[in-house]
Amino acid sequence: MSAVIEIEGLRKTFHSLRQGRRVAVDGFDLLVESGQVHGFLGPNGSGKTTTLRALLGLVRADAGRMTVLGVRAPEDLQAVTGRVGAIVESPQFFGNFTGHRTLRLLARAGGVPTDRVDEVLEQVGLRDRGDERVKGYSLGMKQRLAVASALLKDPELLILDEPANGLDPAGIREMRDLMRSLAEAGVTVLVSSHILAEIQLICDHVTIISRGRRVAAGRVDEVLAGFDRHEFLVRVDDPARAAELLGAAGLAVTGHDDHLVVNDVEDATTVSRTLGEQGVWVRELTPLRPDLESVFLELTGSAAHPTVPRQVDDSALPEGPRDAAIDLDARGVDA
Amino acid sequence: MNLIRAELERLGARRFVQLMVVLLVLAFGITAATTLAGSHRPSAAELADAQAQAAAERRNMEQIHDRCLANQRGNLPEEQSEDYFPADCSEVDPALRDRMPVAADYLNGVFTFANDARPLLYFLIAFLVLFGFLVGASYIGADLNSGGVVNLLLWRPRRMTVLGTKLGTLLGTVALVSVLASAAYLAAFWLIGQVAGQPGHLGGEFWSALGGIWGRGMVLVLLATAAGFAIATLGRHTSAALGALAAYAVVWELGARLVLEILDAPKPDQWMLSSYLGGWLTGRAEFWDDQACTNGYSGYCDGLYALTWAPSLAVLLGLTGALTVAAFALFRRRDLM
Repeated sequence: MSAVIEIEGLRKTFHSLRQGRRVAVDGFDLLVESGQVHGFLGPNGSGKTTTLRALLGLVRADAGRMTVLGVRAPEDLQAVTGRVGAIVESPQFFGNFTGHRTLRLLARAGGVPTDRVDEVLEQVGLRDRGDERVKGYSLGMKQRLAVASALLKDPELLILDEPANGLDPAGIREMRDLMRSLAEAGVTVLVSSHILAEIQLICDHVTIISRGRRVAAGRVDEVLAGFDRHEFLVRVDDPARAAELLGAAGLAVTGHDDHLVVNDVEDATTVSRTLGEQGVWVRELTPLRPDLESVFLELTGSAAHPTVPRQVDDSALPEGPRDAAIDLDARGVDA
Repeated sequence: MNLIRAELERLGARRFVQLMVVLLVLAFGITAATTLAGSHRPSAAELADAQAQAAAERRNMEQIHDRCLANQRGNLPEEQSEDYFPADCSEVDPALRDRMPVAADYLNGVFTFANDARPLLYFLIAFLVLFGFLVGASYIGADLNSGGVVNLLLWRPRRMTVLGTKLGTLLGTVALVSVLASAAYLAAFWLIGQVAGQPGHLGGEFWSALGGIWGRGMVLVLLATAAGFAIATLGRHTSAALGALAAYAVVWELGARLVLEILDAPKPDQWMLSSYLGGWLTGRAEFWDDQACTNGYSGYCDGLYALTWAPSLAVLLGLTGALTVAAFALFRRRDLM
């Protein structure tokens, strides 16, 4: 597969008189290959949006190398801009313009046929609301309009920063379906989101950033597998007896109120056979697979503490700028 | 070309621009309507009376000048020797006056285009300068503040091209509006002068003088537009331009002028932008220097000094140019959040 987005050693520091120096991105790497639906995750303030803005030439990077569709970014971005659709954070539009007019102006400025406007309005579900003024739109409708603006160019690469912001559950599902259909049509998608379950459903690859540094990258299933402790949840009528039997069989068991968790089990039949042979019948035997949320919280150190409110900058700081905590071969299995 | 068309549409669709155009039309309409309502065509008797009064005034002025010269020669009749005459009779020489009394000066309730066109044009220029500054500031200020520029840069990632196109489109539009507005404005008042007043003396000298003011006014409108655009770009917000304007007026034009006067600084007006605005618009603005005549010697002292159009233009162009260059340089490197 060819690289569609490559970022190496990106650094960006913001300076302000009041707040001094703040490192937003610190030697960050990202690789997105053709055809991927790539999730870009990180806690608030971790540098996701700064990275995307730097890639799109809206923020000047202090150091690093970036390419988009094979050209240097942002220097030569103009050469491929017609093939890249992007939204960064929640774009604002002129409230007095209708959705249709907003898109028409963008299409005209970008040299895109204006008859695309109706197509993309239909695509994002705003067909019947396109002639209303944007100031009357809900947050979710504005977000749909933003996505529509990114789709106008019929892009090969779609960069979406928090596209599900403000969307209702149905809207989130529609956005998911839209991204899937775009991916099936061959569009490469880079999407940042806080809705981790959505990312897990949509994306085949993921990069996780914490305090400006990459902490994990690779195929979603491989990243998750890296955190799989081979645990099983076991429910039986007599947990104490079951724990005793499993312990005797050399398995590590943790007792909970109404269930047991057995660790480091490669095969579930080990548990069922051990208990069944002693007449203890299993009511439930569930593998405890890590989900993206638990992995994300563990990697970024952003899990909520029961008594201390977590601050934005309390995320985990990886050791070194270029030493990713986990790098499951960012090029994926096909590389 | 596509970008220019899109920017033209965006500019024309802005509520603030539409509001300012409506205000322009309203101000124009009200001025024209009140002028029309307050004017009438003078009757032959009124005209003859006014012409007689103007002729009498001209004769009176010549007589005063003649008597002044006679007084200097010492052959003024004794009964007139107590009249006041200046030391320099050129001060009362009618030939050296800007203009001589004309019949229009003695016609009450009669609009005379030749007399009133100049102040009317100054009013229009002042409005257009305000129009250009505010529209220029709000056009880019709102776009920067609302994320419109960021949206555009995602489509056209050439910052200088985008900002340059915006400024060019803005200047072109303001120039067109100004030309059309001033043409309509002067034509309407010329028509009022023809049908409900007096056209006055409209010779080539009148039109060239009026054209000069108009031309200088148009330059001023464009400079104000570019300055509003540049300051709002530097401050990322429309209010930056408005704040800078208000701060300059209060802090410098009022405050600093007061301080300079307290300190008896020579020629304080030459430090004020308003002096150069006047110098450019009128071609020559004269100011009095209090310090020029306080050297302890008695006798004649001319404390007047003038700012002509050339240095005034240099100052205005230099300031606007510096602001514009700074705005483009900053926008080229700025992080757009």
